Amino acid sequence: MQYRHVQVIDGKGALRGIAVDAQARGELYAAGDSEIKVFDAAGKLARRWPTARPAQSVAVAGDGAVYAGELGQIEIFDGAGKLRDTWRDDELLRRVTAIGFTGDSVLAGDSADRAIRRFDRGGRFLNNIGKDNPLGGLLIPNGVVDFGVDAEGIVFAANPGKHRVERYAPGGELLGHIGRFHGIDPAGFTGCCNPTNVAIRDAIYTAEKAGPRAKAYDFSGKLLAVIATDLFDANCKNMSIAVDARGRVYVVDTVKQSVFVFERVNA
Amino acid sequence: MSEEVTRRDLFATVARGTVLAVLGGGAGFLVKKANGQVVWQVNASRCINSRLGDLGVEACNLCTTECVVALSAVRAVNEYSKCGRCNICPAYFNITSAVNELGQPSEKLCPRDAIERRPIGKVDPEDPANNFYEYIIDEEKCDGCGKCVMKCKEPLGLGSITLRVRYDRCVNCNRCSISKACPQDALMQLLVSQALQPAGIERPG
Amino acid sequence: MSGLRKLGRAPAAAIALLVVALGAVPSAPAQAIPYQRPVDTAPQQDAIGGGYKTPDVQRQLPRDYWLQVLDVAALGAAMGISVWLVLKRRSRKWLVALTIGSLAYFGFYREGCICPIGSLQNVVVAIADPRYSIPMVVTATFVLPLVVALFFGRAFCGGVCALGAIQELVVLRPIQVPRRLDRALGLLKYVYLGLAILFAVRPALARDFLICRFDPFVGFFRRTGAPHMLLLGGAFLVLGMFVGRPYCRYLCPYGALLAWCTRLARSGVTVTPDKELDCGLCAEACPYGAIERMRAVRRNCLYCARCYSACPRDGELAHAKAGLVRLSGGAPS
Repeated sequence: MQYRHVQVIDGKGALRGIAVDAQARGELYAAGDSEIKVFDAAGKLARRWPTARPAQSVAVAGDGAVYAGELGQIEIFDGAGKLRDTWRDDELLRRVTAIGFTGDSVLAGDSADRAIRRFDRGGRFLNNIGKDNPLGGLLIPNGVVDFGVDAEGIVFAANPGKHRVERYAPGGELLGHIGRFHGIDPAGFTGCCNPTNVAIRDAIYTAEKAGPRAKAYDFSGKLLAVIATDLFDANCKNMSIAVDARGRVYVVDTVKQSVFVFERVNA
Repeated sequence: MSEEVTRRDLFATVARGTVLAVLGGGAGFLVKKANGQVVWQVNASRCINSRLGDLGVEACNLCTTECVVALSAVRAVNEYSKCGRCNICPAYFNITSAVNELGQPSEKLCPRDAIERRPIGKVDPEDPANNFYEYIIDEEKCDGCGKCVMKCKEPLGLGSITLRVRYDRCVNCNRCSISKACPQDALMQLLVSQALQPAGIERPG
Repeated sequence: MSGLRKLGRAPAAAIALLVVALGAVPSAPAQAIPYQRPVDTAPQQDAIGGGYKTPDVQRQLPRDYWLQVLDVAALGAAMGISVWLVLKRRSRKWLVALTIGSLAYFGFYREGCICPIGSLQNVVVAIADPRYSIPMVVTATFVLPLVVALFFGRAFCGGVCALGAIQELVVLRPIQVPRRLDRALGLLKYVYLGLAILFAVRPALARDFLICRFDPFVGFFRRTGAPHMLLLGGAFLVLGMFVGRPYCRYLCPYGALLAWCTRLARSGVTVTPDKELDCGLCAEACPYGAIERMRAVRRNCLYCARCYSACPRDGELAHAKAGLVRLSGGAPS
């Protein structure tokens, strides 16, 4: 499988977490310094609005609501940027670096506690994911918890310290994992902690640092493609990755503060 | 005759007094602006092994070769509170070497085998990936070659290992020969209190 | 007019003080990566658990300040002992003991640092560069031997200076250097002094402490060094067996300053001519050319007390205040 680089979206400032919209309009939502930015399909900045606290991540729910993960809270906006709700919890939401949805729940990755929190739609805490292991959480030396959710609601969490992507049931039970450390084989994850970011659509898409690259795996763990390596600045770290319904892959270059867009080439 | 002696003596005394006054004045001026003791230290924000950027270059070992002391006074120091305690440490292992059956790289990076790896915390003997590991650098073996520093640097690692001058070994030369050779001008003179601070790689923003 | 002669010829090229140092040359930028990173992502000890405590990073302290003060006190004491041994006791034997002791302490134990010779560079920079300052012990190290020289002559050179001590102990069969040659070579001191000052007052990055860099004996003191420097040191010592203390007489920049101060000294070695005897044994014994035409040239006297041991009228055993070679003042140099 091959990918080609089709577009660069200038981030217009800082870029952290990105997310694609749920309606497949080709929009890209990005968390900036203390704002949410929305880029249209052509890559131009369509709208932006401020957040109360520095935004770390963003996700778009099926109904178009935009969830912004911040320091100590999650803010929920409508598609136009009007604030609908704020979930504040200094214990459970210390640093929300990823947000996802499974079934009726909202998932928030807290990098301060190295775990994924599950809340119901009203904001009530249900359970932790990834905390029930000898290390007391995911191994996150790089400082960012990232995960994706597949169509069945299984949570695929990146566990970079163990060089693998782990599959969890929404209740927190570990179901399995794919990936292993390897310093030479491109199918492995290299360095001290990779993959840093993961996105799920029809395959498992991972982003790695230090020898930065984006890859795609199938659900059994077989490497499908190395999407890109040399395009990214060598100093990138914690590159947020997102995949839209058309199979376009978006990866943040944290040094150049832009989003690289890749399309699959039908081989 | 005696008059001449007296005049000469008088002149000598006056001249001596003048020179003493000049010396005293100069000394007073210097004492007024005196600082405490200064020592040499490596600036981690300039040292090419530890500063951000400059990835994929050969580790600079001028600290090893230029120091006048036989085994250089510069050592790699691991700031433990900043270390990730990772299972696969890129400074300990040579991560481009072949992977063994434990899932770890088979070769170590340090040419003098100066880093010791020890599991810490609640140790799981079954699965090595389930543990945190402490990486301790033996200062008797380390010669400051900088290879581990270069690999610990972000984004590959967390940058907890930096090169530092060790004051039980440094003879505190007037003009450190490493400071003359360093192309990044990374050796600086600091007051002792400043020099003992943990290495600061300024994080922008 | 005679007073002016006392000052001597001050070589103009030697002094380049008061050159104000310019700002440092801009160097390579520290870091130019403009993005932000999460801070403090390393696991803390409660996250690691199991009773683990983050170990402290060793931060060894350099030498205690009071020990450096002690060094200055030792310097002063050694000079005092040297003055007393040479001018009062006139004992070469005890002076050699002091020389060995100074070599052991200031040379091999303290590894030659900090020494008054090098300190002149630091003092010059501290005066010229407003941003550079030196600890008080360095100022004291520079000033003390000069003050002693103003009163007693080069007591520092005799038995205290480590570089002098190592050369002093290898003097075997010293030749008498012809006067003209001695004078000519003596000018090298001023050249070295001028160069040392010139290179020291350069802006911080270009600053070069020549005296430290070209110290021939520091390699021995540290028991390690570049091969060419050790060879140079060895060459100086071999030369020193046949030409008394060549570094001290012809190269030492601090010696130039001490020589100037000695011209104003009140006391020092003096030779009183005697119509009857005038054996000249003291002049033959002096390896440093400090006795010319039966007069002591105080600025060249390196306080070795060989003249005393050679004098038949006032040998080591005599301790007499009267005698041919004795304490007095006023002889022209």
